[in-house]
Amino acid sequence: MPSWVVITLIVGAYLALTLAVGLRAGRGTSNSVTGYVAGDRQFGLLVLYFVTGATVFSAFAFLGGPGWAYSRGAAAFYILAYGVIGIAPWYVLGPRAARLGRRFGFVTQAQLLVGRFPSRTLSALVATLSLVAFIPYITLQMRGAGIVIEAVTEGRIPLWAGAAVAYSIVVFYVLVSGVAAVGWTNTLQGIFMLVIAWGLGLYLPYALHGGIGPMFQGILESNPEMLEIPGLTPGGAPWSWGAYSSAILVSAVGLSMWPHLFMKAFTARDDRTLRRTVVLFPSFQFFLIPVFLIGFAGVGVISNLDHPDGVLPALILSLDLPVLVVGLFCAGALSASMSTGDALLHASASVAVEDGIRPFRALSEATQQLLMRVLVVITGAIAYVFALDEDQSLVVLLLSSYGIIAQLAPPIVAAMYWRRATTAGALAGLVAGSAVTLFFFLNPTLRPWEIHEGILGLVVHLPVLVGVSLATPPQALEHTQAFTHPSLPERSTE
Amino acid sequence: MNLRVIRTGVSAFFVLYLLAVIWPGALLFRHAEPLILGVPNSLFWPALWIILGGVALAILDWAETRAEAEVEITH
Repeated sequence: MPSWVVITLIVGAYLALTLAVGLRAGRGTSNSVTGYVAGDRQFGLLVLYFVTGATVFSAFAFLGGPGWAYSRGAAAFYILAYGVIGIAPWYVLGPRAARLGRRFGFVTQAQLLVGRFPSRTLSALVATLSLVAFIPYITLQMRGAGIVIEAVTEGRIPLWAGAAVAYSIVVFYVLVSGVAAVGWTNTLQGIFMLVIAWGLGLYLPYALHGGIGPMFQGILESNPEMLEIPGLTPGGAPWSWGAYSSAILVSAVGLSMWPHLFMKAFTARDDRTLRRTVVLFPSFQFFLIPVFLIGFAGVGVISNLDHPDGVLPALILSLDLPVLVVGLFCAGALSASMSTGDALLHASASVAVEDGIRPFRALSEATQQLLMRVLVVITGAIAYVFALDEDQSLVVLLLSSYGIIAQLAPPIVAAMYWRRATTAGALAGLVAGSAVTLFFFLNPTLRPWEIHEGILGLVVHLPVLVGVSLATPPQALEHTQAFTHPSLPERSTE
Repeated sequence: MNLRVIRTGVSAFFVLYLLAVIWPGALLFRHAEPLILGVPNSLFWPALWIILGGVALAILDWAETRAEAEVEITH
């Protein structure tokens, strides 16, 4: 039997297993919006740990990470630097959001915001921003799946077909089981990709260079600037400190604000579970190290690569590995892509319906669920179209969406901690911050010190939020206290 | 130790963490040499902070859990 057939069979078996787990997962949850979106608030530590981890370990980490290490060297270390700083505030924000969710029945981030700052415009704005950030993120997951399948089948299954097959499965189990499917498949996929990443990260440097030390020694001799922070630009020139530092900053601010992560606060069984997830999160961040080792292993070995994101598949194929290993690698990379993709699809559909449509139109529970499922398919289809003709690096795609997501941080923090914040302030800040981000995204040469557009957006966002809030009348104390001091007994509003 | 002291300490630690991995802190450890445990200094540095960050979060969690338990006993 030719090797690509064996590989395809292994991948097929793996995909079937994922599908089975995803479909089974939905049986335990109730047939309600809270069941579909927030898993009846019953996620335990194991599942929540892997759900959180999947936000780090996506196609971005599995293919984009090695791609950056291979082509841009130390620039990739920014990915290592922001994760733990980004998750730390979640130790405080997560349980607070969860408590408010239980009290008021919130299942999305915008509902929390609008609960504090009543405004349908705000709700629609947050929904729009989330979707704008989600599409490139889903796109990169799909392309990741397509790249892997195309490479290991030696082009017999082209990118468009590979992405279509993998994501049809994702769409199907998300449709049927909602967030429960996301949770349980992420657990399976998480374990899988950790094993694969460490296995390859330690094996490839040995197989190709005789060890990790000799590998770096070799790069030091041939291309020493590559290993120096802040690394290189895609063209091979030194990257700037402004760009490197602000990439860390914007990602740290944005990390816990991603709706697919934030909304998981509403799925947690209790506060302890949420907090422990944060404490265990650095372990996931540590798993990125082998990913970089894989990328560096390609330096000097692989040349003439059309796109650096394909460095890992190219390495795998250049090595004459046993087909079983290649097949498992392929399944691991698909896990990384699909585990993030399912969470994103589910979150974007939930956000679109709960925050974009429901505030404007009364919907029955059944209609909401039907609409969410329709939107899972539509969002998937839009991202798929982009996945086919987009020509950006996976990391660049993600970094751009972080600029938008970071703008959600000031109003979220203000909603839960700043009594004096007002609806007008939150709205004005969000509009100003997003507009500035968009402006510098479109005019990158105007950025001072090449600072990330999302940080420039925040520089305008914060004073506008504070200034407009102070200039407008404060909200009633009974109203703000429920958010800023949720442990106080609830006052009667009648 | 007082819970408030630990909370402040951990918050200060994370500010330090941020400054250490961006400009200007990272200037001190930007070079590849020496190789530590086979990896460049510039990779070892952010990796070390991940471990320190994990320890800081674990200390915070230990303190918070203990404080919660005390509240439950006194009630």
